[in-house]
Amino acid sequence: MGDYIAELTHISKSFPGVKALDDVSFNVKAGEVMALLGENGAGKSTLVKVLSGVYTKDEGEIKLFGNPVEDLTPKKAQELGVAIIHQELNMCAHLSVAENIFLGREETHSGVLSNREMNQKAKVILNRLNMEIDPATIVGDLAISKQQMVEIAKALSTNAKILIMDEPTSALTSNEIEDLFKIIKKLKAEGCAIIYISHRLEELQYIVDRVTIMRDGKFITSMNFSDTDMAEIISNMVGHEIKEKFPRVPCSRGKKIFEVKNLNAGKMVRDVNFSLYEGEIVGIAGLMGAGRTETTRAIFGVDPKESGEIFLDGKQIDIKKPMDAIRAGIVLAPEDRKKDGLCVKLSVTENISLPNLDLLSNGIGVIDRKKEKAMTEKAVNDLQIKLPNADVDAATLSGGNQQKLVVAKWLARNSRVVIFDEPTRGIDVAAKVEIYNLMNELKMQGIGVLFVSSEMPEIMGISDRILVMCDGKITGELEIEEATQDIILQYATKFDSKFAQKEAV
Amino acid sequence: MENREKQNVWKKVMAIRGMGQVITVTIGLIALWIVFGLLSPSFYSARNVGNLLRQVAPILIIGIGQSYVLITGNIDLSIGSVVGMSCMISATLMTKGMNPWAAMLLTILICIGVGVLNGLLVAQCKLPPFIATLGTMTVARGVAQIVNNNYNTDAIGEAAQGYRNLFYYGSTFGVYNTIWIAVILFLVFDFLLSKTRTGRHIYAVGSNIEASKLSGIDTDLITIKVYVVSGFCAGIVGLITSATAGMGTMDAGNMYEMYAVAASVIGGVSTLGGQGILIGTVVGAAIWGTLQNGLQFAGAPVAMRNIVIGIIVIISVLLDVIIRTGKPRKSKKSNHSNSVSGTSQGS
Repeated sequence: MGDYIAELTHISKSFPGVKALDDVSFNVKAGEVMALLGENGAGKSTLVKVLSGVYTKDEGEIKLFGNPVEDLTPKKAQELGVAIIHQELNMCAHLSVAENIFLGREETHSGVLSNREMNQKAKVILNRLNMEIDPATIVGDLAISKQQMVEIAKALSTNAKILIMDEPTSALTSNEIEDLFKIIKKLKAEGCAIIYISHRLEELQYIVDRVTIMRDGKFITSMNFSDTDMAEIISNMVGHEIKEKFPRVPCSRGKKIFEVKNLNAGKMVRDVNFSLYEGEIVGIAGLMGAGRTETTRAIFGVDPKESGEIFLDGKQIDIKKPMDAIRAGIVLAPEDRKKDGLCVKLSVTENISLPNLDLLSNGIGVIDRKKEKAMTEKAVNDLQIKLPNADVDAATLSGGNQQKLVVAKWLARNSRVVIFDEPTRGIDVAAKVEIYNLMNELKMQGIGVLFVSSEMPEIMGISDRILVMCDGKITGELEIEEATQDIILQYATKFDSKFAQKEAV
Repeated sequence: MENREKQNVWKKVMAIRGMGQVITVTIGLIALWIVFGLLSPSFYSARNVGNLLRQVAPILIIGIGQSYVLITGNIDLSIGSVVGMSCMISATLMTKGMNPWAAMLLTILICIGVGVLNGLLVAQCKLPPFIATLGTMTVARGVAQIVNNNYNTDAIGEAAQGYRNLFYYGSTFGVYNTIWIAVILFLVFDFLLSKTRTGRHIYAVGSNIEASKLSGIDTDLITIKVYVVSGFCAGIVGLITSATAGMGTMDAGNMYEMYAVAASVIGGVSTLGGQGILIGTVVGAAIWGTLQNGLQFAGAPVAMRNIVIGIIVIISVLLDVIIRTGKPRKSKKSNHSNSVSGTSQGS
């Protein structure tokens, strides 16, 4: 057993009301990539937080490099060579790249910060990662994906021997993922142990040596990746087999519900045209920054439009602010749940009733608690949101349930068009299927469903028609029968070229 | 060659975060000086310039303390009362015959104690800073009233003349000592904030406390430290006040917490934390002092001055908000567009 660089045995950890970890054992060797898998709420994040000193264990033993370790704090873990890249970006947005990389470990010269040296060292680390970022750039000015790379650079700068990555790819584009995998392979060759948490199972084959699967806070199994297959992994994760990863409901296309004509809004939405019909789900594919989110925001009236017309059921409507869209029956479940989708400090009930207060309150604005309660109960039941009761804060729900909540608050009113932006980001397989089922149900009810996704299998698996965006424009439109990953990618990378190129469409 | 060096210095200065706004505000300050100079020529007299700076000094000093607290994303409402407390305690001790220097030290220690208490309430007891310091504000004002049985003190007398000279009446190299004290405190605290590890951690805590904790920073200690700085600064201003009046007055420092916020915010310190530099607070305090002094010179009644200063504070924050949201940086969405425009140029 001597070659385990980290060994956790019989770890338990409880929070008020929940047993997050129940007798979990976990180990990882030097020079291997260990995937830690499980649904949301399975306890993966809690386990790695115990290993990195963020949480203290209630019971069990932690051995690092063969030595038992007690009273682990983030600082102590860092000194011992454990570094964690958190799921949620943890950067000081006001500080520079170099300042973030050396945060908490600043180098000083007789008490004065040695900024120049730190900048140089940061540059070296960034070069090692093939990143061309000026260390003096303010982190808040960087794109999210670049911020994530900075976080990796920060972890590397500590000379970490055990590197924990919690959903590192969820905000990255495919190119960046490729870069990340190169880095992971390099680190592995250097003898680092990497603990890799991800919901994107299809990525595992490129990097992973072993997998550990958790469910409901318990250790389920641990095996070599080469000895197993996806079906086995998934069935271990969910405890039962998911038959259809992408449930598709055939529906005949009805009349046109919704049409966008010549929509322009800033650099990222240029001359966008499309229609939605009853009985279909339309997916918008594209690379990150293709203008998909911006398009949904412009339609919904969050960002101002420069020009363009929007028709609902044949009538032109004027959307200047989100309220106009909601009144007309167009709703948006935004990408960033915690930032745009929910008031996480408010209760589940309050979140659901928030956009529906016009339906729930009387003439002078007093809210009818009974109606509110009924609406919440119906929504929670319809979407099978798992919660202790509807008075808990939205923040306490798992990612998948939060996503359902974002949807739930809109479904309580009779909408005509529902727009989802990355509805399954960061949620587990079973919850994804529930979201797909929900979208199918809307489709069957004749509601127009538009969804943005960066996950190609999802786009191909659930849409009836696919719009591809690139650089603020719709570069392709495909019926599902003619769509392949290659064609979509072709359209998604169709940037305006300086060479006079003939449009292929 | 020399020109190039100059350019480099200029570049370096401009590279300091937040310098842009400080320069904008400085232009505003110069404009005020011109306007008041035109309104009353004696505004520029050596005597008035000296007085003006001496008026600015205490506001700058408490502004430094408040800026420290604001940069961590907190607020200290107690400092005005701590000024009053410091004034009353120092004067009472002196009238009871204590050596002025010993009284000064003891007073400062007590004010630091209030800072520690504020820090503990906010960091350890997790009280919202607004509430915690609202509480200590009331307590400190109560202490100021109780130390001399609800009376202002008598004159602190002959024995304290050295003390009075040090804090108010004396000058060194032709400049009032009060101004020197402010300058020295500014230099020390600016150095701490911009050049040391603790300073960096103060910005980090204000920018993202969770990330700071996970980076191994003792965020509680940083919070306590900034409140200690603000308690200390308020204590010094209290000493200046008792030296100025030659006695302790119970309502000394009334509203100073707001003046300190105003000086900080005008100078570009963000009330949301993570942003701001002390040189900005200097300019902010100077604007505040110039308005007070200049409006007085121009013959505006006190009430009028308050109205004008209040409006200026609102306008400067408003400008700040407009400048910030006008820039393509705040929202995540615009970050996306940045990255994309980069890609499209590349292809």
